[in-house]
Amino acid sequence: MFELRTRRARLFAQLGLTLLALPFALPLVAMLRGSLQNEGWANYVVVLSEPQFGRFFLNSAIMAAGCIGITFVAAMLAAFAFAKLQLPAKEVWFYGLLVALTLPGVMILVPLFLTMQTLGLLDTYWAVILPLAAGGIPFSVLLARNFIAGLEDEIFDAARVDGCTTLGVFLRIVVPLSRPIAAVIVLWAFLGAWNEFLLPLLFLTDADLQAITQVPTFFTSFYGGDQGKVVAASVLITLPVLLMYLAMQRFFERGMTGGALK
Amino acid sequence: MTTVLGTPPPPTLPGTRTADVVTGRRRRGRGLAHLGFIAPAVLLVAAVIYYSVGYTFWLSLTDSDGINPGAFVGLDNFARAVSDPTTWAALAHSALFLLVIPTQMLLGLVIAALLHSSVRLKGLYKVVVFIPTITATAVMAPVFRQVFAADGSVNDALETVGLGGLTQAWLGDPSWALPTLMVINVWQWTGLSFILYYAGLTQIEASTFEAARLDGASNLRILTSIIVPMMKGTHVTLLILGVMGVLKTFDLVFLVTGGGPAKSTEFLSTYIYETTITRFDAGYGAALSVLLLALSLGFTVWQMRRYRRAGGAGV
Repeated sequence: MFELRTRRARLFAQLGLTLLALPFALPLVAMLRGSLQNEGWANYVVVLSEPQFGRFFLNSAIMAAGCIGITFVAAMLAAFAFAKLQLPAKEVWFYGLLVALTLPGVMILVPLFLTMQTLGLLDTYWAVILPLAAGGIPFSVLLARNFIAGLEDEIFDAARVDGCTTLGVFLRIVVPLSRPIAAVIVLWAFLGAWNEFLLPLLFLTDADLQAITQVPTFFTSFYGGDQGKVVAASVLITLPVLLMYLAMQRFFERGMTGGALK
Repeated sequence: MTTVLGTPPPPTLPGTRTADVVTGRRRRGRGLAHLGFIAPAVLLVAAVIYYSVGYTFWLSLTDSDGINPGAFVGLDNFARAVSDPTTWAALAHSALFLLVIPTQMLLGLVIAALLHSSVRLKGLYKVVVFIPTITATAVMAPVFRQVFAADGSVNDALETVGLGGLTQAWLGDPSWALPTLMVINVWQWTGLSFILYYAGLTQIEASTFEAARLDGASNLRILTSIIVPMMKGTHVTLLILGVMGVLKTFDLVFLVTGGGPAKSTEFLSTYIYETTITRFDAGYGAALSVLLLALSLGFTVWQMRRYRRAGGAGV
């Protein structure tokens, strides 16, 4: 991009980049250091041997899995139809979905609560999974539609000549070719579910169902002044997110290129 | 699945843009059966979101406490919202908060451009800038409360470099709490701008830069005359996502300052939460929600129209 011909120019760019990136690293360093205060690494041992931590972790994993599954299936099917199929009133459906993208979640808390109550879903994972999936679908459809629209039409012609049904085309061509955008959808859905704070707080009152994001609050009342344990728990919460991002990084960037920017 | 090479493409008439790519059928039934593909997404969004929004509209016309239906009160809640100083204060805070968007975009673009140049350790920088975006606000909130505390690391650092006079109780002072939240927001969301710009920049052909360089363009000139205009689609995407993000800002405020001190960081979203959940004033909370929705929707429609008129391909 920038041409850095001299060694000095290269050094200058590297230095500038480091100065820009440093503020992003410092809070993370503060977090790591904070997790080691008082008892050092023993903080992690204490947190990990706390049964509630494992329980919350599992709860969030279950909710994230449900959310990813629903979002992925619903969004990919819809995106395929919007990108490549003939649909009556296509625009109406598409913009109808997109409008939902603009809604702040906090504005529908009461209706959601009352609806979940009526359906008897309060204090079940569904009370969190369904709203999160519904909230995540519009963005995923938008990304995936742009990506799938970029696939060559010739592949579809060939498949049709081979006698493939529409669903067959979806399963055997679209899904395998859409791996990069699938990575984006999965990562986004995972982040949304794993990092969600408000819905589990309000819709899950049973302490055994609580989500991982309640851990800092929960541990603060539990360990009182021992911030080291609270922060150690925070580091452990972040770890799966980081690992997932690193594992999918390459796909993720390719997906972003094809999906978000078309 | 094997691709049959050499199969001639089916004849397509010029102008029949509604021809179905996959089934090849034109117009027959207008793809009614294909509605099945969008049904799961549409039904879920309609059942959860549209239904709830409709419910909120109705609640906004009542004095419901969120548990009982309440009585119909017409537009009273809206009249109350307009004459409520907290509503206006919250809107003013959101307006000021919008400043984070250009800041995040500029930082993200510069970092992305630098990472596309010949620097070392690209992978490391990329991860460092993006980690904040994928980290839960609930996780970082306690860390930032500590970092910005009166005896926190920011003040320690200021003392060390001899700027002890600048130390503050950053989150405890009504005039500093909002700017501090903005700093945290920039920290968290620059990663998104960065990753989108980074992905976008990979699509500009190297020859574009070579040509510019042959014409004697400097690096700064390349940034302002090539990179910035070519990233227009990304700017619009980030602007829309940014404004919606600001209007939706909740976790950050709720967990770091709780809207205080002295309501100096109250946002419409936290005010709605407080009204509805803490004070059981659901009817009023719903009216505030409708106002928030109108703002958010109005802005998005306006932006998309503007972009489309300018010849963009859509968000």
